[in-house]
Amino acid sequence: MANNEVVIIDFGMGNLWSVASAIKFLGKIPIITEDLSKISESETLILPGVGSFRRAMNTIRNKSIDKAIFDSLQNPKSKLLGICLGMQLLGTSSTEHGLTEGLGLVQNEVVRLANSEINPIKIPHVGFNKVQMPRDSKLFEQISIDAYFYFVHSYAMQILNDSSKYTITTYGHQFVAAIESGQVFGTQFHPEKSQKNGLKVLENFLR
Amino acid sequence: MLTKRLIFALLYDSGSFMLSRNFRLQKIGDLNWLEDNYGFSNVGYQIDELVVVDVSRQNRDTAKFCEDLKQLTRDCFAPISAGGGIKTLEHARELLRSGADKVIINSALHDQPELVENLASEFGRQCIVASVDTQKIDNSYRVFKHNGTVETAHSLDEFLLRCAGLPVGEIYLTSIDRDGTSNGLDFEMLKHVAHIKDLPLIIKGGIGNADHIIAGLSDNRVDAVATAHLLNFMGNGLARARELAIGGGINLPRF
Repeated sequence: MANNEVVIIDFGMGNLWSVASAIKFLGKIPIITEDLSKISESETLILPGVGSFRRAMNTIRNKSIDKAIFDSLQNPKSKLLGICLGMQLLGTSSTEHGLTEGLGLVQNEVVRLANSEINPIKIPHVGFNKVQMPRDSKLFEQISIDAYFYFVHSYAMQILNDSSKYTITTYGHQFVAAIESGQVFGTQFHPEKSQKNGLKVLENFLR
Repeated sequence: MLTKRLIFALLYDSGSFMLSRNFRLQKIGDLNWLEDNYGFSNVGYQIDELVVVDVSRQNRDTAKFCEDLKQLTRDCFAPISAGGGIKTLEHARELLRSGADKVIINSALHDQPELVENLASEFGRQCIVASVDTQKIDNSYRVFKHNGTVETAHSLDEFLLRCAGLPVGEIYLTSIDRDGTSNGLDFEMLKHVAHIKDLPLIIKGGIGNADHIIAGLSDNRVDAVATAHLLNFMGNGLARARELAIGGGINLPRF
């Protein structure tokens, strides 16, 4: 597959047009597909997603998209970015609509955003918020700590002590806003909806 | 800290963008007019979110709306909510494939509550914006459907209580009385929002200038304000209003 092609995995749920527009804007060729051989041969994958975790995992498993993703990642040059629900799907499980197993590429469980009497928040978390990125982050290279990113979600990964690099956002409590773990990347926010800063995150991933 | 939002709403009717006053529509211009006077597809455009609603009263052409939505959102890397006459899951899916992140539901809240459940189990409740149109009649806030043409049996209080029980992610509340008047937002209607205090609230209707935006976003019940007035903020008007709001102490993002 040509080097400047980026495969956007289409499992029927997601704002694919916006992700494709952003990829095109950055000078790459977006390929929106559910074709298993295209996915497994690609070196640059994006897993977008708007929707319910359970519904998404069912579709991904029924279409064997999970196996195609794992095949692609066998190639050490391959990399994968999950966006919003797409990032959550990388985890081990989610409690949304009953406990559902995820792709397990990141050892983290997805849970509902925590609310409390003392610190009440509205759920979903909708709008622009800041993030705290790790020092040696690839995704946030050359991005200011004052940058804002667009979130729209009710569930998120939790902060754990493991070998992944976490970017953190606080909304009521802290949750994982982005993850970098070897070949696997994820953003809970929508980089394709976060204007210049979001485009820079995508550009950093594609580099 | 989560910021507040200044939202621009576009009302679309068969290829044209409309100015609305008390829900009566007047044609202003097409996609080219919009590009010339706003330039949403300029990457640097200062906007927190765009709402695009197909308000066509007859012969709604969803395929054409989706094509125009794609045109509009090409190189517009900002959040987009879209809606207008959504009656099926497939209609919502098409909008989400054409640049929208969220879908706006209005009449279906009344006529097809089961659709709201289906949309939520497919796309998640964060994807669903419940649009509620209200008008004060004989000293009481009543709820309207079908582009404000049909009065329902519900008071605003009662209907928002019902919305709180539906799997929706946000409430988008429009004052029909203030719509397009530029006389300022309707704060009196906010007396009726207690039932939805756990959901993000967008209010619309009456914004004419930056002071109205500041007044709306200063209210702690309000998470976002929206204006659909096509002529009040042309050119860099929205960017200037944002700067004034930030200067006035409103927590809005800088991009």
